[in-house]
Amino acid sequence: MLLIYAVMILISAVVLFPLLYTLLASFKSNMELMTDPGSIIPKNPTFENYVTALKSPDFNVPRLLWNSIYYTLINVLVITATSSMAGYVFARGNFPFKRTIFVCFSSLLFIKTGMLGIYATFKVLNVVNLTQSLWALIVYHIFSVPVVDIFLVKGYVQSLPIAMDEAAKIDGCSFFKTFIYIIAPLLKPIIATIAILSFKASWNEYLMPTIFTLTQPSQRTLMVGLMALKNSGEAATSWNLMLTGSVIALIPVLIAYSFGNKYFIKGLSAGAVKG
Amino acid sequence: MKFASKNGKSKSMSSAYKSESIACYLMILLPLIGFIVFNVYPILWTFRWSWFSYNGIDSQAIFVGWENFKTVFTTDTTYWKVWLTTLQYGILKVPIEMSLALFIAVLLNRQFKGAKMFQALFYLPNVVSVAIIGLIFSNMFSYWGVVNTYLVEWGIIQAEIDWFASKWTAMFMLVLGGVWNTFGVNVMYFLSALINVPEELYESAEIDGASKTRQFFSITIPMIAPVFQTILLLSLVGTLGVNDYILAFTGGGPSGQTLTVMSYLTRQFVPGFTDSTTPALGYGCAMSFMTTIILTTIALVYNKLSGKLKTVY
Repeated sequence: MLLIYAVMILISAVVLFPLLYTLLASFKSNMELMTDPGSIIPKNPTFENYVTALKSPDFNVPRLLWNSIYYTLINVLVITATSSMAGYVFARGNFPFKRTIFVCFSSLLFIKTGMLGIYATFKVLNVVNLTQSLWALIVYHIFSVPVVDIFLVKGYVQSLPIAMDEAAKIDGCSFFKTFIYIIAPLLKPIIATIAILSFKASWNEYLMPTIFTLTQPSQRTLMVGLMALKNSGEAATSWNLMLTGSVIALIPVLIAYSFGNKYFIKGLSAGAVKG
Repeated sequence: MKFASKNGKSKSMSSAYKSESIACYLMILLPLIGFIVFNVYPILWTFRWSWFSYNGIDSQAIFVGWENFKTVFTTDTTYWKVWLTTLQYGILKVPIEMSLALFIAVLLNRQFKGAKMFQALFYLPNVVSVAIIGLIFSNMFSYWGVVNTYLVEWGIIQAEIDWFASKWTAMFMLVLGGVWNTFGVNVMYFLSALINVPEELYESAEIDGASKTRQFFSITIPMIAPVFQTILLLSLVGTLGVNDYILAFTGGGPSGQTLTVMSYLTRQFVPGFTDSTTPALGYGCAMSFMTTIILTTIALVYNKLSGKLKTVY
């Protein structure tokens, strides 16, 4: 038993070290970061980096943060709405080509189209007069197929007694009204799971926002801004900004995780058990 | 409800079935349009330009037939080199991650005090963005960084190592960061499988005098085998398809030696990541198309080998 605890604590230490190290480093002065990066505990803890980060003109944290926030919130809203409707439709609906459409959507799990398709995506967006911007990426996400989330809702709806739907139908509820008044209120736990998973995914997304904000640095999200700094010429002297920026970027997901970790876990195990 | 619709389908469309169908289509309209416009169309687009010498300007495109594919197979050693790197990364990361995750899950399954807390803790790295992982690990492994400092202080290495200067030290960091990032997910997956193994099996094995190791290989492994196959598939697909993590961490360095196939394609052809202003898109489409086929084939062959042809969920 003691041995188990020893192993657990050892692994926990390895898991936590990079995060704690970063947190502590964000309180070091840039001088200390450059001359003595090997130390862990800051010698003269200071908030200087946070002040610099909030005021820096090239690494405009308030702007980046705001972009990340609205980008993430809109995505979460859209994904929870589309996946809960689609999940319900595939669980309870009857319509032509239902099976075909479902199989098509599911195939997206395995077929990785690769990043070259981005050129075709831009072509489509150009047709509707959307140029590369964060808003164009939001539009792209509004039309995305959240396969795993659809699976989660579908499984959840199928576990609800069908008698409820039938009762609603007898009372004159249409298919859509049954969803709004009967099913949707019952979906809260699974919607919480999807909201928190999509929050994490959108907040952390890096590749697509980089491509879409290439010509518009003012629309960069926090992750894009951090990586732009890392790849810039001043990377070696900007560790204070990068590490502090990382801490700022980590706080929202860590808060979400500490309050909602049971939803994270639920989302994952719901996916695995069906295997 | 089911019956009603089946009858409706076989005879004539009842008006209830019709209105339900319309409601259904309206409710999945957004993903349905998105599927066609943002998934099917890009695939067709990639397939089409695979047969052209094309640099993004439609009027200058020249049909070249099999030429692009021939080049990939006969003269492009870089493409196959990045495939080798991809497999090396997979062969290093997947077994380490799987055995570590299974080991931890078996321990956690003993339901000791604090097990839930440790479980939550091990999943924590998975909520961290790959961009931030690349940043933090780059800092820790930098020349004067915390890792070198302690390794020297403890006498494990004589002098500081430049971790980013050789392929295998860079690969070591990538595997370490990759395992750190995703092992917790697999711990969860394994745990949800282990919880379903009936306790009585272990009890009767105990009575028959089977050792703990024997129990593990004769009860635990066979009982979780079906889920194990799925977990391994997910890990395999995720690891071989790794893309932004490599770009955020080593950037493919030193000199492209840690580029995996997906990150290589991104670095060569995607705006914002490529240095070229007019990348050879036609050729890129051919490579991209082949990559998709190879990755899908690996997944299918794996599925066939593990005797399980149904989908993951």
